[in-house]
Amino acid sequence: MDFDHNAVVAFSKSWGLFYLMAFFVCVLVYAFWPSNRSRFDRAKHSILDRDDTPWQK
Amino acid sequence: MLANLTSSERQTALVLAGGVAVAGLVMAVLGRSDVLGVHGVIVMLCGGFVAWRIMSSFYAAEPTQDRSVSYYDDPIKAGIALAMAWAVFGMFMGVWVAAQLAWPDLAFDAAWSSFGRLRPTHTSGVIFGFGGNALIATSFHVVQRTSRARLAGQVSPWFVLLGYNLFCVLAISGYLMGITQSKEYAEAEWYADIWLVIVWVTYFILYIKTIARRNEPHIYVANWYFMAFIVVVAILHIVNNLALPISWGHAKSYTIWPGVQDAMVQWWYGHNAVAFFLTAGFLGMLYYYLPVRAQRPIFSYRLSILSFWGITFFYMWAGSHHLHYTALPHWVQTLGMTFSVMLLVPSWASAGNALLTLNGAWHRVRQDATLRFMMAAAVFYGLSTFEGSFMAIRPVNSLSHYTDWTVGHVHAGALGWVALITFGSLYTLVPKLWKRQGMYSDALVEVHFWLSIAGALIYVFAMWNSGIIQGLMWRTYTEDGALSYSFIDSLVAMYPYYIARAFGGLLFLIGTIIGCYNMWMTVRSAPHAAPERDAPVTPATVPGE
Amino acid sequence: MPELFHRKLERSAVLFVLGIIAAASVGGIVEIAPLFTIDETVEDAPDMRMYTPLELAGRNIYIREGCYACHSQMIRTLRDEVERYGPYSVAVESQYDRPMLWGSKRTGPDLARIGGKYSDFWHVAHLNNPRDVVPESNMPAYRWLARTPLKTNDLHLHLAAQQALGVPYTAEMIENAASDAYGQATPDTDYAAGVVERYGEETNISAFDGVTTRVTEMDALVAYLQVLGRLTNAAYENTAAPETKPDPDD
Repeated sequence: MDFDHNAVVAFSKSWGLFYLMAFFVCVLVYAFWPSNRSRFDRAKHSILDRDDTPWQK
Repeated sequence: MLANLTSSERQTALVLAGGVAVAGLVMAVLGRSDVLGVHGVIVMLCGGFVAWRIMSSFYAAEPTQDRSVSYYDDPIKAGIALAMAWAVFGMFMGVWVAAQLAWPDLAFDAAWSSFGRLRPTHTSGVIFGFGGNALIATSFHVVQRTSRARLAGQVSPWFVLLGYNLFCVLAISGYLMGITQSKEYAEAEWYADIWLVIVWVTYFILYIKTIARRNEPHIYVANWYFMAFIVVVAILHIVNNLALPISWGHAKSYTIWPGVQDAMVQWWYGHNAVAFFLTAGFLGMLYYYLPVRAQRPIFSYRLSILSFWGITFFYMWAGSHHLHYTALPHWVQTLGMTFSVMLLVPSWASAGNALLTLNGAWHRVRQDATLRFMMAAAVFYGLSTFEGSFMAIRPVNSLSHYTDWTVGHVHAGALGWVALITFGSLYTLVPKLWKRQGMYSDALVEVHFWLSIAGALIYVFAMWNSGIIQGLMWRTYTEDGALSYSFIDSLVAMYPYYIARAFGGLLFLIGTIIGCYNMWMTVRSAPHAAPERDAPVTPATVPGE
Repeated sequence: MPELFHRKLERSAVLFVLGIIAAASVGGIVEIAPLFTIDETVEDAPDMRMYTPLELAGRNIYIREGCYACHSQMIRTLRDEVERYGPYSVAVESQYDRPMLWGSKRTGPDLARIGGKYSDFWHVAHLNNPRDVVPESNMPAYRWLARTPLKTNDLHLHLAAQQALGVPYTAEMIENAASDAYGQATPDTDYAAGVVERYGEETNISAFDGVTTRVTEMDALVAYLQVLGRLTNAAYENTAAPETKPDPDD
């Protein structure tokens, strides 16, 4: 393939958009995947406890 | 600061400080016929001072207890003090340059104090000095608490904090001497840029190692924002600052990007510095300190994930909206405009998420000025991201670009969003870190809040007015098709607004000084809080997966 | 599948960082990469001149004093801008500009085509105290420029660095950088003849600050201001330029 200006621009304009949509779908799936609900719930409450020392392994 | 270091760590710290001092000496010798030499001496003095501090208590008692049972808070405390000191400096410079626009003789006929040299000391002072130190300090705090693990290093947090401040000192003292690359928000010259890369890579490694040793299964969303801030700022900084120094003994360098490429790289950097330095990092603060202060979990964790990836993805495309109607290719401008408008979605998702978190706790917002700081920050964030998307639309930009409207927009974000969320976070953090029952004076927090709001509103309204008037005057035609106003006519119309803007900035500065006093008194004299729990949790309480 | 992938992603901080980079870098790459092949679409300007050593030194003073904070050098493709400042800026005009000084704010007017619009004498008076010539101005006074001798002994390093980055300075130009800087500010000397020989007939030789016994920072800055917009005629050709290039001798 010849890397002239128009080719590079065309590539940017088309594949950039596909990439964006694929990425968006992945993020949506992750955010709404049912089994993730409990981990998110735990995460959002975990910062509220009054614990102020590191946990030991 | 040394009491928590073992003797071998003190040796490491001493070697590092000594290394910096020697590097300064080399710079001073190589640059003896150039301003670079002055910076060499400054580096040498900074390195020497830290080395002397280490040596003076080198043989003091070593820590006896197991350090892994407590969080590492010393560097955070120092970071907060440095952030507030830079805030006062940077905002003072801002008031001064604002006053110079109304009264140009306030430069007192000296080279170092003229507008062009002082202006970057203001921008770097508040963005990098105040904002950067606040981000480093709060990120160290958040990553430890949300990971339930101590920072993964004893000396490296100090290296990051002090090294970063050395960068700030080099940058700002350089502008006063005329050392600048003239790239907006990346003015520091090549050697300071290289130093920042070293510091930043250390910061990144420290952060990621701390996350890797976390005791929580999930990485809390605030850390995502802090990590995006660290990673992307590194990429932006390196690409934008690629330059060829004219010699090893000169401060001057030439950027490798010419003309139109430089313009695109510069504004790709400039806009994403706003995105990842002034937005992502501070959203990290918002997602931790706002729920903690309100004692309510974030409204929607899912929404915070969606807006995170939205912001990370969209922002990178938006930079070219700074170059509408210029010699930049048209399609790049259009792309920048489109993504800037799309950015509104994740931005408002974040702002809405923050405000909905407070839903049901409005009585606390009314009573607690600290929480109100964060609420107002979220409102300003929503407003200024709307304004930003609006101004990125090409025809709007034709009016707003090059005018004070841009300055007003930036300050709606910087004063209203960045500074307010930082003050809210620090007022939450200071009593916790120093184990006080609360701030020294809640009344002073209240005063600070209202001064900040008044200052920010006066500032932003003055700049909206002046910017729109200016933009309209430039494009007004008489009936016979000639331009109605000369440039100087538009400048004369600006003077009242320049005075109002300086006054708004002054109110904001006074608020910051009051905040410093309040924090200082809290550390010195507020009553101690009873320890909430000072024994490590037993393994049984650790939730397993 | 995505569930498993994301769980892993989130587990490992390093993978997470790679995700951030993947998301964040694309926008920049898509927008910036095509600009490196842009030479093919940018106007040709065979008449494009380079900055002389004195003009380059002046440009560096412009940078040092932060003039870009209040003055743009980019005329947009808008009717009022073209009528106020001259033909809109084209990409080729800043092809030797490292860094570009397009600016972002006009507290003062655009300077992209300031060259030749005012006399040297006006510029010197204006820089010494702007309010002497424009009473309403809020620009700082730059009195020290006329008092400060220009540092010329490292100019060859500046030209050599520019050459290394692709600006076509010749070895002879680099070697004579200091004397050319002197020559451009001292008309009717052998040095001045050398500048014309190396940089062309169009080069603006003048006593800029009015004093020929020494070369000051004022000489350099005025020399730079007077060349702005005059390095090439590209903007006046093939565009709807409403005017011709200003000529200070008119």
